[in-house]
Amino acid sequence: MKEELFVSGRNIPNIDPYLNIWHWEIPVYLFLGGLAAGIMFFAGYFTIMRKEKEMQATVKYAPFLVPFALVLGLFALFLDLKHQLYFWRLYTTVRLESPMSWGAWTLMFVTPLSMLWVASYMKEVFPKWDWKFNILNQFEALAIKYRKAMAWALMFLAVVLGVYTGILLSAFNARPLWNTSILGPLFLVSGMSTGLAAIIWMSKSKYERKVLSRIDLIFIGVELFLIIHMFMGFMAASEVQIEAAQLFLGGEFTVVFWVFIIILGLIFPATLEVLELRGFHIPIWIPSLLILIGGLLLRFVMVEAGQITRYLY
Amino acid sequence: MNTETDIKKKPNYLNPYFGGVLLGLLLLATFFIAGRGLSASGAVKLSLVTVVNKIAPEHAANNTYYSKFIPEDGSSIMFNWLVFGAIGTFFGGMLSGVLYGRMGKLRVEHSPKISKRTRIIAAAIGGLLFGMGSQFGRGCSSGAALSGTAALSFGGLLVMAFMFGIGYVVAYFVRKLWI
Repeated sequence: MKEELFVSGRNIPNIDPYLNIWHWEIPVYLFLGGLAAGIMFFAGYFTIMRKEKEMQATVKYAPFLVPFALVLGLFALFLDLKHQLYFWRLYTTVRLESPMSWGAWTLMFVTPLSMLWVASYMKEVFPKWDWKFNILNQFEALAIKYRKAMAWALMFLAVVLGVYTGILLSAFNARPLWNTSILGPLFLVSGMSTGLAAIIWMSKSKYERKVLSRIDLIFIGVELFLIIHMFMGFMAASEVQIEAAQLFLGGEFTVVFWVFIIILGLIFPATLEVLELRGFHIPIWIPSLLILIGGLLLRFVMVEAGQITRYLY
Repeated sequence: MNTETDIKKKPNYLNPYFGGVLLGLLLLATFFIAGRGLSASGAVKLSLVTVVNKIAPEHAANNTYYSKFIPEDGSSIMFNWLVFGAIGTFFGGMLSGVLYGRMGKLRVEHSPKISKRTRIIAAAIGGLLFGMGSQFGRGCSSGAALSGTAALSFGGLLVMAFMFGIGYVVAYFVRKLWI
């Protein structure tokens, strides 16, 4: 019997030929990060525009979701870590070339800032709220005084956070599906849209919902534009990127991508939003829920599909 | 233009004859695109098979009825035209409700002479009988009656005749649920 021994560099479990390291935790984190970024951005924007009274859900109520979304997202990220007790090491260095370092530091600033924002509105939202300690009352007064400065910081950090959720993947050059500069703006725009959907769901003001629906329609349009251009880029690129795009153009992710993300997660809710703007009665939670589910699925699909695309054959 | 007032003036439903023509064209499109007609009960059936297959895969594989719907290539039971047809029906119906001003708060529509609870119980019993009947008849009003007659199937014609014929007869005994 002839025995043969094959030695190959291609048999690296969970790395090559297919990456199998990121599971549900990463897309959930990317979704919650994008959602938080969307809510924070518009809370800051309408504060700077002095529209706090007209846009109460945007400025006051929806930001209460942000600390929860960020903490839950970070917890999902923590669960994903192989060496969980060493997570603090991210904060012993600043590496400008590393998106993870950018993300870790952004979250380090944005999480307490979002809590501070919520704290500054606690007494308005819960009139019986009592901070118990005088120092906390003084701290609250300070937060209220510098709310506009906080709004600028929130807007800036929200954009960084939103873009980072996409760049986290696109910086991973070894995977053709992720190796596109469109992912950063795509995830930012998608995050803004999911944030708007959450605010619209919470808002009780017709005026506020109208303003936000109009903005959301623009974001949905931009998102579709970016997705089309992402595929055009893939189809005009090398063979591996054409094959990556084929996963969505007849391959195993075709149905979930086109039916559940593009049609039910973007086009259908946008149609409902247009109809609502034209005076038709629509239970507002329906388009909002569809956009949120679409946003979550987009991240699941991009993370999952990206891991099975590869350069070497 | 005050669209809200205009919407209230609109009829609540499409002209039934025009609706019938549209339904026929939809059926034609489904035969053309998917190679098979419409179905409503199919998606529910496949959902049921999926649940059974998840909880007791051996039982599902050994059962003559369930095993028919489990793909041999290992793909998902729910990855089926019927499921996507049902999803489309749900969202299409929603759009129709919005366009014709029937979309309101979540509510149970019932005769003023019966309670919501009675309505829900009656609907559940009716649904149960209809579900069982559709499986005995190898299709429901969409799968067997509509798609069957469109394909000039004698079985489809029989289903159509008996389904509506018996429906008229039985309606007399349950009329107090509605009038």
